[in-house]
Amino acid sequence: MGALDGRSVVVTGGGRGIGRAIALLAAAEGASVVVADTGAEADGTGANPAIADAVVEQIKASGGNAVATHSDVSLLEGGEEPIKAALEAFGKIDGLVNAAGIRRDTPIWEMTEEDWDVVIRGNVKAQFVPSKFASIAMRQNRYGRIVSLINDAGLGAVGASNFAAAGEGALGFNRTLARDLGRYGVTANAISPLARTRMFGGYSEDLRPPAGVLSANDVARIGRPTPMFQWEDTGHPDDPESVAPLAVYLLSEGAGDINGQCFGVRGGDIYLYSNPTIDRQILSYGRRFTMDEMDEQMPRTLALGVPSPVEAAHHH
Amino acid sequence: MGNRLEGRVALITGSGRGIGRGIAQLMAEEGAAVIVNDFGGNLDGSGGEQTPAQEVVDGIKAAGGRASANYGDVSKFEDARAMVQQAVDEYGRLDILCHVAGILRDRMVFNMTEEEWDAVLAVHLKGAFNTVRHAVEPMIRQRYGRILVFSSGSGLGSSGQANYSAAKEGMVGFARSLARELGPYGIAVNAIYPGGATRMTASVPSASRELRARAGITSGGAPRAPQQNFSDIDAAIGTPRDPGNNAPPVTWLCSEAGGVISGQVIGTSGWQASRYSPRQAIRSISSPRRWSVEDLQDVVPNQLTVGVNNPAPMVQPKES
Repeated sequence: MGALDGRSVVVTGGGRGIGRAIALLAAAEGASVVVADTGAEADGTGANPAIADAVVEQIKASGGNAVATHSDVSLLEGGEEPIKAALEAFGKIDGLVNAAGIRRDTPIWEMTEEDWDVVIRGNVKAQFVPSKFASIAMRQNRYGRIVSLINDAGLGAVGASNFAAAGEGALGFNRTLARDLGRYGVTANAISPLARTRMFGGYSEDLRPPAGVLSANDVARIGRPTPMFQWEDTGHPDDPESVAPLAVYLLSEGAGDINGQCFGVRGGDIYLYSNPTIDRQILSYGRRFTMDEMDEQMPRTLALGVPSPVEAAHHH
Repeated sequence: MGNRLEGRVALITGSGRGIGRGIAQLMAEEGAAVIVNDFGGNLDGSGGEQTPAQEVVDGIKAAGGRASANYGDVSKFEDARAMVQQAVDEYGRLDILCHVAGILRDRMVFNMTEEEWDAVLAVHLKGAFNTVRHAVEPMIRQRYGRILVFSSGSGLGSSGQANYSAAKEGMVGFARSLARELGPYGIAVNAIYPGGATRMTASVPSASRELRARAGITSGGAPRAPQQNFSDIDAAIGTPRDPGNNAPPVTWLCSEAGGVISGQVIGTSGWQASRYSPRQAIRSISSPRRWSVEDLQDVVPNQLTVGVNNPAPMVQPKES
């Protein structure tokens, strides 16, 4: 018995990296899989249909059921193809994994308009388009599971402000997707993974910033993941295969109560993220603040406990 | 009247009306020269009229302040370049950027068109990039700057606003990342969750909000004040829903003293100012080897997500 027996699942970006690992595990757990991948480079350029085809062949060779699509899911025209393929080949769509993504890291002062547009379209609109088409069918069927990959650059990575905007943008989209679709029996959850792929070539140990500077992991209060010291498995904890079990679990029927959440995966460590909440607040009674009140209150309330990068630089 | 922004130059997008106008006026009172940018368009992004920005400029000048109007479209890269150039040409520098301009095209995700998605992301998120990209050039030269991008609590989840949530939470990620990148240059960057009764909020029918609330769909942000039907936005003046309430905390963050806060999300609606936590790991499960799906079927619901609410539980369709 597989967790996804009889299910039909679309995986965008299923040709390589984390998407591929999810597609393979979903198939091993019994799902029929649409592997949707243009085969583009990590910066979004180029195309190679052989990338998706190879994953389909691998699934079939293991006795599974799979078809490939090669269209660009970040455009409405052509973006419906993976969903149509699932409906035509497997008769329905139960799950969608938005794993397609690209990045073009560059400092803001060198970033071109194209660097921005391509990254926002390739990471955020590329989740809207398949989700829109999938949600039409899932809503009619009163059943669906959507899992989307985001990133933690938006917690404070340097030199990737486009990718940071894309990651939090995709998360904001997913929070609303969950609220638009939950009542129809459709869930939407996000995973912020860290794995060694084309999009992130290093190991998670490399992410440590200089002392005294908060990394994205520090902001997320993740710190150094424990498996780095204790890992007993074959392979490295940063292998993309480490992300797949959580994604496949969230695609399963039993995960139906989990909706609108964000998870982090670092090897064998799986995190649940909070939703942002107010952690400090000052109040004025019966009227707006005066500027004198701001001068007096802001430095000793809202500024406390969150080191400002401006001040840190100033004191060096 | 103060002098907290004496000698500073500010560019405020979307300041012909609503929240932006109140900020432009208070910054001018505090001594800043202000570029009042407003496309003057309709709320859905169409059309264009020059009156709102010019009226704000006239009001600032009548009060003895310095201001000029700009009618550029923030969604256009070259228009944003011209806004920054206007500040430098007319006043010699640019110290403050507030990207307030925004539009709404609410629709449930399964019905949303590509045009509705693109238009909202273009004004809010691309508008943030366009204005910041050009503004950082004088700011880096000056080794000084204050940037605020106006996000929204809707980024924490708001049914019917998939495009707006994506754009607004994207602006949070953008601001947090820029804060660390630009800190060494003396530039502070924050995201604002503002509030107030404006043309934009009035365009969302309160009936549709009530419908969602009755269906048990909860928004991810802080609890909102009860929705009142301000058929006349003027009725909000002097109440917690007055868009002018945002101006003091926003203006303070853009003062030199405001540099102590950077990389944060600050709520400024009503008679309060708030700081939001980032999303943070609050629970974890750990294994020294790769998890199996079977193990997660037990551990996730019984440990990791125990007690976590579904913001939109399934509603069983009525038998017909």
